[in-house]
Amino acid sequence: MREADRREGVWKFLTYTFILVMIVLTIVPLYWIVIASTLPEEAFLTAGTAPQLFPGGEFWANFSALQDRLNIGFLMFDELLGTDFGFLGAIANSVFIAVVYTLLSLVICSMAGFAFAKYEFRFKEPIFYTILATLVLPIQLLVIPLFLLMSQLGMTNTYWAIILPWAANPLGIFLMRQNMKSLPDALLESARMDGATEFQLYYRIALPTMKSSLAALSIILFLFQWNLFLFPLVILEGDKYTIPVAINQLVGAQRVYYDQIMVAATLSIIPIFLLFLFLQKQFVSGILAGSVKE
Amino acid sequence: MARINVNTLRKEFGEGSDAVVAVEDVDFQIEDGEFLVLVGPSGCGKTTTLRCIAGLEDVTSGTLKFGDTDVTDLRARERDVAMVFQNYALYPHMDVRSNIGFGLKLSTKLTSAEIDRRVEETAAMLGISDLLGDKPKELSGGQQQRVALGRAIVREPEVFLMDEPLSNLDAKLRAQMRTELQELQHELGVTTVYVTHDQTEAMAMGDRIAVMNDGRLQQVGRPEEVYRSPTNEFVANFIGSPSINLFTAEVNGDTLVGPGGFSYTLENPSYVEGYDRIRAGIRPEDMRLVSEGGNNVDVTVVEPMGNENFLYLTMGDIDMTARVDSSMRPQAGETVQFAFDEDALYLFDAESGDAIKTKTDDVDVGVKEIQS
Repeated sequence: MREADRREGVWKFLTYTFILVMIVLTIVPLYWIVIASTLPEEAFLTAGTAPQLFPGGEFWANFSALQDRLNIGFLMFDELLGTDFGFLGAIANSVFIAVVYTLLSLVICSMAGFAFAKYEFRFKEPIFYTILATLVLPIQLLVIPLFLLMSQLGMTNTYWAIILPWAANPLGIFLMRQNMKSLPDALLESARMDGATEFQLYYRIALPTMKSSLAALSIILFLFQWNLFLFPLVILEGDKYTIPVAINQLVGAQRVYYDQIMVAATLSIIPIFLLFLFLQKQFVSGILAGSVKE
Repeated sequence: MARINVNTLRKEFGEGSDAVVAVEDVDFQIEDGEFLVLVGPSGCGKTTTLRCIAGLEDVTSGTLKFGDTDVTDLRARERDVAMVFQNYALYPHMDVRSNIGFGLKLSTKLTSAEIDRRVEETAAMLGISDLLGDKPKELSGGQQQRVALGRAIVREPEVFLMDEPLSNLDAKLRAQMRTELQELQHELGVTTVYVTHDQTEAMAMGDRIAVMNDGRLQQVGRPEEVYRSPTNEFVANFIGSPSINLFTAEVNGDTLVGPGGFSYTLENPSYVEGYDRIRAGIRPEDMRLVSEGGNNVDVTVVEPMGNENFLYLTMGDIDMTARVDSSMRPQAGETVQFAFDEDALYLFDAESGDAIKTKTDDVDVGVKEIQS
């Protein structure tokens, strides 16, 4: 008994140590970015200086330098309001695009997932696997055909150009299909008997019971759009840039503005952080508990 | 309310050469307000038949009528039927009030005050008024069952369909709900089709029971009719607990010769004229232990039930069961003799299984008189 306890204790200690190491490895770079954003560039770029542990007072100076360097408009109002919004404009663009994209994609992915999981139709499997297969196509391969497509549709330099191509996100469709499969058929049939239309099955039964999967998927979708770089770089013009493309502007041929990059990176973490906080509540497991007796 | 007419119903799953026939040539009529129980072993097509009536499955061929309306091609929501599922299928994200009221909300134009009133009325009838604010996961199995029933009752449908609604309850609760369900159905007078694999439940609950096997309807009749006059060996074997004792016997003039030295001379040999071999059946309660003049059987196990004893016997290579008075308590290993009345003997065609002779005592007549 005592031997078993001891062994369990050792095992626990090792587990927690491992987790702690992982946390430190994850947090330290983030922490360093935040610290560096508050320091003059020399303080962290000069060889031989010890890394600083505490924030300095240069954040606002770095921030205004960053704002001056970038010419970005506020959403679609660049002609109306001008392009003096600097990096804050890029944040607004990114948030707007990611929110619209996430909502649109949630609707499409959940509908498609519901259909693939709960309906029988001709060529269902081939269609599903074709959608899944597009997961392996790298974005670099898609850039040119997508650009041509978008320019034919007259959508270059619009937000739609980076929202629509990924709205039917194959990963999202796959995840929703897997989750929807766990929805008991009896629940849907019961609603059918209660007089629900097929759309009501989706909207009133499937969606509410899938809340936690939808929350998880929205983070995946949001981050996917948030981090999209190559295609926005190609299809958007300077005044409509999103965060990753805007940050890329700070890497010049002559000079890389590390201090400003650190400020930009720090600011770009905030919306993601808020999103996690907001959705955390939704990750309640076992929402299906008590629906059907096993 | 509605009379249900099921006409040469056929249901296949899959297509072409892979098609599996789940229900074939099923024909029956359920009277207005009647409680019909569909019973049979797993995979016999009873649930499929129910789902066809519900509109959850398309029929391959045949027609379904509620009253004079042909509902064969109507969707479930257009048929005015309510169904109670085996696993209850409560909406997990809604409280009991919304669960019960959901159907009214979707399929009627009632005001929400009127819906609330009807939900509360139904809840009171089922004794779940204090649970209206709870979510399904907070309820016990019995309470979930009541909510599922409430959801069906509140809509006041033409037809109730129930798919093994009691099978997830423990034995005591099941017996209680059985009675409650019957009372409720009588009170509401709604035509009900009830599916179960439990023949005891079928016998206890049904105004009539329909026995199915291999996708085909074997017999429809009042419980005692099905028990006493089964149309074939399958029905005789399926209905009754413990099961009927069945064995093959050679016909030797007017004598039946069976396994383990079984021999019985028929008083009325006309039944077996033209047969070389038949299947004979004796219900466990019709087996009498006698001290002489009977056939020998070996006792393997004695199960005292308190009011009676179940004897497990072997006759040659045939296992048999007898239900005898609790005062009769032979020892395991002992050889005893049994006898029976010819009235109580069942005979079946050895090839087709069709009944040649069923119980012929006059209780049957008496039952009919009481019924009418």
